Amino acid sequence: MQLIINGLVIGSIIAITAIGLSMIYKTLNFVNFAHGDFVAFAAYIAFFANKELGVHLAVAFLIAILATMLLGVSMEKVVWRPMRRKKASRTALIIISIGFALVLRNTLLFIWGGSTRCYDIPVRRGFDFFGATITHNQVLVIIVAFILMFLLHYLLSRTMIGKAMRALSDNIDLARISGINVDQVILWTWVIGLGLAASGGVLYGLVTAIRPSMGWYLLLPMFAAIILGGIGNPYGTIAGGMVIGLSQELSTAVLPTEYKFAVSFVVMAVMLLIKPEGLFGGAK
Amino acid sequence: MTELLGAILPYITTILLFASIYAVFALGLNLEWGFTGLINFGHVAFFAIGAYTTVLLNISGCPLIISVIAGVALAGFFGFLLGIPTLRLREDYLAIVTIGFSEVVRSILLNEEWLTRGPFGVHGFDRPFQDAVPYQHYNTFLLILFVAILAIVYFALERLIQSPWGRVLKSIREDETVPYALGKNVFSYKLQSLIIGSAIAGLAGTMLAFYITYINPCTFKPIETFYAWIIVILGGTASNKGTIVGAIILWAFFSGTKFIDRIVPVPFESHQMGAFRMIVIGLLLMLLMMYKPEGIFGRKEELALSD
Repeated sequence: MQLIINGLVIGSIIAITAIGLSMIYKTLNFVNFAHGDFVAFAAYIAFFANKELGVHLAVAFLIAILATMLLGVSMEKVVWRPMRRKKASRTALIIISIGFALVLRNTLLFIWGGSTRCYDIPVRRGFDFFGATITHNQVLVIIVAFILMFLLHYLLSRTMIGKAMRALSDNIDLARISGINVDQVILWTWVIGLGLAASGGVLYGLVTAIRPSMGWYLLLPMFAAIILGGIGNPYGTIAGGMVIGLSQELSTAVLPTEYKFAVSFVVMAVMLLIKPEGLFGGAK
Repeated sequence: MTELLGAILPYITTILLFASIYAVFALGLNLEWGFTGLINFGHVAFFAIGAYTTVLLNISGCPLIISVIAGVALAGFFGFLLGIPTLRLREDYLAIVTIGFSEVVRSILLNEEWLTRGPFGVHGFDRPFQDAVPYQHYNTFLLILFVAILAIVYFALERLIQSPWGRVLKSIREDETVPYALGKNVFSYKLQSLIIGSAIAGLAGTMLAFYITYINPCTFKPIETFYAWIIVILGGTASNKGTIVGAIILWAFFSGTKFIDRIVPVPFESHQMGAFRMIVIGLLLMLLMMYKPEGIFGRKEELALSD
């Protein structure tokens, strides 16, 4: 029971962080290897605002999301858009993203050092739930994650911008000739994808320690989640994130905890062998 | 004058030793990425497999030369295993799977103490000709040996890529539908490139073990992979000569930044220096890819950068 609860908590964090990775992968057709480091960046900004500026964690949460979106939008304007104009290939973009990942992670390391940090929040006893212990933070993570997933669903299915985003990820050229302002929508994709990633990062900091490498270790489970769910499919990604979170935690019943993230590697490799288009994807 | 030379010479030997090891390591990547267009973000895993296999076999009594061959072969074999699920798919899947693989390998090295001695690492293995060469000249001997290995790998690769086999690799890099239409088994060629590149990384791993005489899982962090990437891209993708020059530049930069605080005061603490060096490497990767993707010796036409 305890493992299932831990799995759901980690799973919902993986799910909301991975949605952004998946959307950008599909829309811009490249893998952003810096995505995990955006997650860590958000956790550090929240830590900075909460502990060093002394604002309430809820305010720090919003500041972190805004800062991450801002960073993402500046990267789009300074790097990704000009590179698209130059017709740079996917592989060039992947290498640039890994370079940026190194820059971002080591900037965090440079400023705040390698030791683990945590927010300035009171430590409270967890409560009993069918023989397992749940902490308040874990409940908070699950609630916030589900609110965000619901908001995303509303945005994608009911708003113009959401529909434009789905059109873009379906076929960027068709979207362009049907009069959608492609650059604008790509900007929105970054804003929403990184906003979700940033929320996931702040929440992750609530249930685990904040370290510069936290995003790096989340990257592999995120990849596994999007491959399971099918790239570009936000609902599949949510399901994939839950599956990965649960299987990581349940694996600790039989395997040493150090191999937690090896589980996502194995799931991913098996999935690529048998059904690379994802659990819910049709054959393409 | 001779005094100054005596003080500088060990530093230069060190730089050249590391440069030759990393040149071999990066030549493996250049075959995969430069000539075939494969994105391997887990190159360090094969480096580690080569080093660990060699030294573990050797300390359990296996002759050195057989241990080295086993290390190289096993590294190649793991390249084969990783290639199977990924090389039929889009190029980014190989990047994702290899980056994961390198972390899995490192956590196995850390946790399976019965096999790898865990975080304490391995030392006390033989080094080539250690009884024949006097101790005070051993590093000089090693440098000669490493330069010879580098030369052999370099000329073997040059021959390979100028052969018909190498031309198929380049055509895969340019547009894999063309060799496919000509009846070439594209998947098999990619797999061969990955196996050879991984085996070369394994060889570099054994060289590293012989030089530093002590290896532990921290020797094989993911960042080592990106040292190879920066070497290849800086020197010039698809240029083996450029790769060797890139390796020398990188190690000169490393030792330069290690001693820079003795010449000019640097306002960082020591852990910040490490982070700063990584920031420079990351920025350099980004800027090179954005503004000079062909590097120093590469040619623009020889880039796997068109879809």
